[in-house]
Amino acid sequence: MTGPMTGMSLSLPRARALTDALLAPATDEIAAEEITHLRSQLAGDLAALVEELPVGERLRLDTFRFDLAREHPERCSGADGPFVPSPRVCRRTIGLSAMARCVRRWSPTPAVAVAEVLAAGMEDATDDGDQSSSRPPWWAGWYRGLSAGGRAMVEAEAVTWATQLWTALEWDRFAPPPIIGGGDDWWDCPGTRVLTLRGRAEVKVRSDGPPALLVVGSGLPPSDWRSALGFPALVTALARGGKSTPSRVVGMWPASGQVRILPVDSEALRDTATTVVCAVATWVDARLEAQGSRVA
Amino acid sequence: MAGAGFGEPAGRRPPGSPRTVTAVGQAGPVPRTSSPTDAIRPPAGSALLERLRGHGTARPAVDPGLAGGLRDWLEDGLASVAGGAPVDTGPVRVTKEALTGVLMCEAHLVARRTSPRAVTVELARGSLVDALFRQWVTTGRLDDAWSDAVGAVRVDGDGDVVDFLDALAPDASAELAQEVAEHGAGIVERWPVPSPTWLARTQERLVVPLVGGRVVMSGVVDLAFGGPAGERASVCVVEIKSGRRRIEHRGDLHFYALLETLRSGAPPFRIATYYTRTGELDVEAVTDDVLVGALQRVLAGTVRLCRLAAGTEPSRTPNGLCAWCSALPECEPGQARAGTDVPRHAGGAEDEDEFSLLVET
Repeated sequence: MTGPMTGMSLSLPRARALTDALLAPATDEIAAEEITHLRSQLAGDLAALVEELPVGERLRLDTFRFDLAREHPERCSGADGPFVPSPRVCRRTIGLSAMARCVRRWSPTPAVAVAEVLAAGMEDATDDGDQSSSRPPWWAGWYRGLSAGGRAMVEAEAVTWATQLWTALEWDRFAPPPIIGGGDDWWDCPGTRVLTLRGRAEVKVRSDGPPALLVVGSGLPPSDWRSALGFPALVTALARGGKSTPSRVVGMWPASGQVRILPVDSEALRDTATTVVCAVATWVDARLEAQGSRVA
Repeated sequence: MAGAGFGEPAGRRPPGSPRTVTAVGQAGPVPRTSSPTDAIRPPAGSALLERLRGHGTARPAVDPGLAGGLRDWLEDGLASVAGGAPVDTGPVRVTKEALTGVLMCEAHLVARRTSPRAVTVELARGSLVDALFRQWVTTGRLDDAWSDAVGAVRVDGDGDVVDFLDALAPDASAELAQEVAEHGAGIVERWPVPSPTWLARTQERLVVPLVGGRVVMSGVVDLAFGGPAGERASVCVVEIKSGRRRIEHRGDLHFYALLETLRSGAPPFRIATYYTRTGELDVEAVTDDVLVGALQRVLAGTVRLCRLAAGTEPSRTPNGLCAWCSALPECEPGQARAGTDVPRHAGGAEDEDEFSLLVET
């Protein structure tokens, strides 16, 4: 499965091939002892690295920071600025909520579902002090403050993103229905309180055996796509271990129509762990450099 | 193209494919898809949708080997030149603007790339109208066209355009607002809001890597609808133009048809250009000829782009844009064409017909 994906990318309809890949039975199961050993080894390496972080600083290595450290390490020192919402930043979160509605058959299409998610977010953001209303999603306050034209762009981005995911799979074939988004996996590195790894996947396919993950990327797959796909699997393995460790991660890049599949075995986890150590080192260096600039 | 041999060895013209294809650098005549009455009254509502859907026309079967064959053909044609481009400067990027530019005049393209970006009224109008169209298709609502469009561009747009709008004099701003409102009114009057079941996507990005990523073709489609293809083509691609109708727009559209084919493994069944100023709609079925013509144009342009990236001296081809070219003071053929060695500035005349070719969206 790790070979060239051209055969898969050329077979139509693609949704069938992609769904097949997610539903294929697991080939290997990683022994619990192996994960325990990997966790211990990685914790030792990472704890030693983050000791060098400037006093009082924490590092949360999420998908964004992991990608940035690998692909553009030179940008890490200036990348910790304030978070700025935008239609593109919000589209995944809103799109996933919409997709969850579609998969549960609460909404007929992504366009309808996105409109419902946005309306609910607006309502939640408006209900100041109402204890019965749910907590608004993080984007709702910002969205509420936009003009009609700005809101339309948020909706359009989310509809396009969700529609690409909706048409990528044959959803009726999943039983039970897959988890859309769901909670991210967090792993606090033992021996230190300053490092957390955070992994995420857009779709988690449940089965009797280990789950399979679908990760949606933008643009083109990176040259080291194995690390990109291995990261959420590694964090899940570290955080939960055992049968929760995914059997495979399927990566999909809708803009380019590219698909990659990573079978998760011991080697894949070890390789990804090595890349994580490098990424953390890059971020520690960047933080030290930024501190040096501030002092100067 | 079914059974026409796209699974055959790379780089060959499939047996039976026509020799007469769109000329390199030219898009050929605009097809007559409308009756004289249509030309007077632009299609609207269900008539517009029927044109896009090709009412009564069977969706073509997808040749499963087509996309792979086209890709092989491109890779074969680019393998030798792409290797000459420097690796450290990133991939050679092929967009509709780069293609049009390099096929028109290599020296002009190089000059444009090294000059500061000029935002014009035409470019700003295009961004604003694109946003309005996107809003209409997505939400089915346009309240105040100017306010909606500016609000959209501020949230999701081009920073240069925002700066341009902020710096506009009140009179110019009012004039642009009036123009944008007219485009918006035309969209509302003629465009039905697509049903959610049509799975409309706006500003959908297409990226196609070639030759191991050394060449990357890309584009952003204003509107695509229809689910992914299975046995039959099912996607329609629509480009929105706020400027005047031009023969060159067909080349852009064919480029997008090729990108979509390579990305998804199946060609779109229809491609269209919609002119928001007049309501004109040019619709074309995507045939093998269209794709082969697009491929040849892309290949010719990309070879030139690769050579430029490798450091080859750009050739000079006098054309209607010479008068606006920043390299005009050093370009004798351009001066002969323009009749001067002093370049004109964008936005300096009411009717810069040729210049608008490269700045309209």
